[in-house]
Amino acid sequence: MSSKINGHVSPQPCPHLLVFRSRNGPKPFRALQDCIRVKPPGGRAAIRREPTEVPRCGTCEESSRSRLYACVACAAVFCHAPLLHSHASDHSLSIPGHEIAVDVDRAELFCCACGDQVYDRDFDAAVVLAQTVNATATTSTSGSTAMQCSVAGSQPENLRKRRRVDYRPWEPDSGEHISRGNQSIPLLDATNASLVSSTQQPWGFRGLNNLGNTCFMNSILQALLHTPPLRNYFLGDRHNRYYCQQKNGAINGTKNSRLCLACDMDALFSAVFSGDRTPYSPAKFLYSWWQHAANLASYEQQDAHEFFISMLEGIHEKVEKDKRKSQSPAGSGDCCIAHRVFSGILRSDVMCMVCGFTSTTYDPCVDISLDLEPNQGGSGKSSSAKSLNSFNFEADCMRPNQNCGISTLKGCLERFTRAEKLGSDQKLFCQKCQVRQESLKQMSIRKLPLVSCFHVKRFEHSSIRKMSRKVDRYLQFPFSLDMAPYLSSSILRSRFGNRIFPFDGDEQDASNDLSTEFELFAVVTHSGRLDAGHYVTYLRLSNQWYKCDDAWITQVNESIVRAAQGYMMFYVQKVLYYKESENQGTS
Amino acid sequence: MSHSHKLVIKRSSMSRPPPPPPTTNKDQQHQNPSLQEINIKLIQSGEKERLKELLRERLLECGWIDEMKALCRAFTRKKGRNNVTVDDLVHVISPKGRASVPNSMKAELLQRIRAFLASTAD
Repeated sequence: MSSKINGHVSPQPCPHLLVFRSRNGPKPFRALQDCIRVKPPGGRAAIRREPTEVPRCGTCEESSRSRLYACVACAAVFCHAPLLHSHASDHSLSIPGHEIAVDVDRAELFCCACGDQVYDRDFDAAVVLAQTVNATATTSTSGSTAMQCSVAGSQPENLRKRRRVDYRPWEPDSGEHISRGNQSIPLLDATNASLVSSTQQPWGFRGLNNLGNTCFMNSILQALLHTPPLRNYFLGDRHNRYYCQQKNGAINGTKNSRLCLACDMDALFSAVFSGDRTPYSPAKFLYSWWQHAANLASYEQQDAHEFFISMLEGIHEKVEKDKRKSQSPAGSGDCCIAHRVFSGILRSDVMCMVCGFTSTTYDPCVDISLDLEPNQGGSGKSSSAKSLNSFNFEADCMRPNQNCGISTLKGCLERFTRAEKLGSDQKLFCQKCQVRQESLKQMSIRKLPLVSCFHVKRFEHSSIRKMSRKVDRYLQFPFSLDMAPYLSSSILRSRFGNRIFPFDGDEQDASNDLSTEFELFAVVTHSGRLDAGHYVTYLRLSNQWYKCDDAWITQVNESIVRAAQGYMMFYVQKVLYYKESENQGTS
Repeated sequence: MSHSHKLVIKRSSMSRPPPPPPTTNKDQQHQNPSLQEINIKLIQSGEKERLKELLRERLLECGWIDEMKALCRAFTRKKGRNNVTVDDLVHVISPKGRASVPNSMKAELLQRIRAFLASTAD
């Protein structure tokens, strides 16, 4: 019933649809095209012969039935309620060739004989086009070829098809063989086995000393040290600090030695996973980072999120100088390990409110910054209001725009991907109208990274009022998160309905069922005021939570974590998380 | 706590007060509009579309849509992907779907429809 084309599952037409297509020439849905009504621009597509038509069943005159279908062959409208009666089915049985109909409210094709939805590429392309182009356009397009051309042309320039590389298992080359032999220390041997077995903490846990307001750095480092793909990369010796410095021709101890944050990370991983449980002082790391981010080098407390971003940039910068790697398209993550792990692609659709023309752009991102709700939610009964499991659930509040209960991460993501009307002071230039018009903007995720980092905007800086403040409001975050509803494919589906998209390209691999489920593994929390606060990181390993407070690492109950004030949340793709949990041997 | 709200307007009831004295034809036309008439008014004014959007948002918020999706998925898994039609799915989930719409949601929509009819009454 379905086949795969370029990995994309395409529903096969039913026999009645095939017959219909073969009998009605190259433009079988031409007449329907003129009946596609979209109001307002950006709304759902419906089928109406006249804009003000109230569809009624030709047999029983009913207009209030929920499923009304218009026969594609003769444009007659009928109701379809198989349990009561289906005048649509009666019609299709009475006249051969009249089996194909279209749902008047959803603009989706239906075969009355099969009792099932059917899909046609040309028809779906016409609907999508109507929804993105001026609904009242009077120019008649000359059939499907014109449609296909203009729709295909809407694929944005800055997204190139991702090249697939054949899998080659890694083998160390001669240089790596040597450095491995000289410089590496065995992780588990007789001398430090006693250190390992004396504690109950899993492998790789080591406190980080506070070097003077450096908890912002310690908290992020703890999260990165336990980011599964990053951990695997460095522990798998993919960036060897000895080999790297030799490559750069650095001379030890002189000012000419080039700094490499990746090498410092490698040193950090080696130190933390060495088996030594005494707290470690990341002084060298701090010094290297100061050199990289000179504007942030001070003895004052910094923003952990800023540190995170500058760290990723630092790791990336080193590699960019390698010409070969700078050719990779943005967001593919081929450039460096930092982007390979954290980089995703965001899609932004901006639609002109006057003509409906939509302009789409793709931008890579290493994290998503989320706003907390502007208004305080309702009080009390928070958990019952958000219950999704009870059939007898009753909402506590009935007013349309009031939010019940507490703020949640999912709520923030929903708001992030909601269509937002830009203010009249933010008019954007419309290519079709050739003037600035009021616009509707909608974000969605085109490609998910291996690790999703969510940053909650708790620090508000107002340059107008010359003050900053911290938003302490509690944000509930789940331990397991399915990102499917925030993907571009889901957002498009909710905008256009069930369609075959003419410009799918390789959307399909971006929305693989397996890779939309994520597991939380690290939470960076902030407590205290904006000018006098403290960062603490909670790590999750094998469903056990640990609190990393500078030099002290302790096991804590998950309820502590749930109640904590999340500032940055790190989620990893579920497949990678469970793999890690399996390997936790020592205890 | 609550009695179920029906969207169909009751035509007669034992507890209803005696009907008002007979009125002119014009007035009689606008008493007890039929479901069809209400529907047409709602569609032509665009209110029906607005109500549908509101309903969609509410059903999404309370997890009803996710529940229906789960039911569809479970049914499809049981029957096999190639043996399920849209009509089958509608048949399977309609009774459960109707039964699980929260009463507060029905009340809200009913209230809106009443308000709309009152505001557009001649």
